[in-house]
Amino acid sequence: MKYTVGRLLAMAAAATSLVAVGFSPSAEARPGAGGGVHAGGGGHARGGGDAGANRQVNNSRADVRSRDVRSNSVNSVNANRNVNINSSRNVNVNVDNHGGCCGWDNDYHPVATAAAVTATVAVTSAVVGSMVRSVPAGCVPVNYGGMVYQQCGSSWYMPQGGQYVVVNPPY
Amino acid sequence: MARLPALILLVVLVTACSSTPPPVTQSPASPTTAPGAPAATTTSAATTPPDAKLVDPAVIQALKAMGGYLQTLKQYAVAIDLSGERVLADGEKLQHTATANLQVSSPNKLRAQMRSARSQRELFYDGKTVTLYQPQQKYYSQVEFAETNAVLVERLRQRYGVEVPSADLFLWGTSAAPLDNIQSAMNAGQDFIGGKLCDHYAIRQGDFDWQIWIAVGDRPLPCKLVITNRADEARPQSITVYRWNLNPKFGSSLFTFTPPKDAKEAKFVPLKTQQSQ
Repeated sequence: MKYTVGRLLAMAAAATSLVAVGFSPSAEARPGAGGGVHAGGGGHARGGGDAGANRQVNNSRADVRSRDVRSNSVNSVNANRNVNINSSRNVNVNVDNHGGCCGWDNDYHPVATAAAVTATVAVTSAVVGSMVRSVPAGCVPVNYGGMVYQQCGSSWYMPQGGQYVVVNPPY
Repeated sequence: MARLPALILLVVLVTACSSTPPPVTQSPASPTTAPGAPAATTTSAATTPPDAKLVDPAVIQALKAMGGYLQTLKQYAVAIDLSGERVLADGEKLQHTATANLQVSSPNKLRAQMRSARSQRELFYDGKTVTLYQPQQKYYSQVEFAETNAVLVERLRQRYGVEVPSADLFLWGTSAAPLDNIQSAMNAGQDFIGGKLCDHYAIRQGDFDWQIWIAVGDRPLPCKLVITNRADEARPQSITVYRWNLNPKFGSSLFTFTPPKDAKEAKFVPLKTQQSQ
């Protein structure tokens, strides 16, 4: 609970900058891509070596609303009965506890959930929701909730279509 | 003290978030029903817990037969197609798809490939070590483990928040899949799933309505599973279709992960909030 409050405090703090900043969906925030989606790419048909199955999608044009998720379908009638009853009732559980709450198919990190709510400029250096081609030196890979993040000091990154998206700390 | 304004804001946020209507309760009142006794009867029937008449014992028997059969399988491979839904802030739903391949050797060997447009992950379990590998980024995470597949899927979920695809396959037919808290169970006829004739059953269990299609004949395998989450009034639904192979050939190294040369380890971090049982 403490940690949940802590996370929400961070969100709330970020919310104070909401009015000043307005929405900053990832497409605009992408460095070097000039706002264009295909331009700097790297997301499309990367390498193309390993059969068509390795083609990657580019979600940078997806509306931030598409990630403002309040609940999910569940995949098991036995394994996570209790978990999902709770998580689906409280959107904040989803935000805070991604991977802990959701199914194996649910690999949508709620990065823009915060963006939609707070139009985030995080208190940390990197802008949540923005895309970068590589992470800074000295980052540590961490598996939390089944997803691998790059923890770079107080900033967290997640791989997405051959690039990295800045996300809220998962814990 | 700086926390106070933030907390107030937090309260506002939480209130806003949770302002979505509470879960729909059972049985919409039917206004056409004549007032008085019949209506009252309907209401009480819907609100009282397990009514024997609502639970067809033949359905429970069919679930037991399926679970029992699954537990007898020594080796199998199953291809899984899943459609899931996310409910957005305003109740609009988005559907997504994912696929998985499970290769299972009882009681303690498992390989799962999970694929979506957004990520690829592989799970290896050889009875000693469980590894989650992300082939695109070449990161792997490992922990030692020495129990059955059924225990593994529960522990992974509780401790690390990792869901194994179709975990029910390991749990049906065990005490982890109790059949005594079902409020309603009915036979819904038959259907063809992937060309196979399957019996269709519909079950209500707490906040979940689920439908299962079970193959007709002496191999009662699940053909399809639909789970409707009633905890949200938008009722997000998952649809899982299974394609079975009961005679797979598994190489000796299938379940053991050997890191490629340039792979790096990403340490597993246990969930900060432990999941319920």
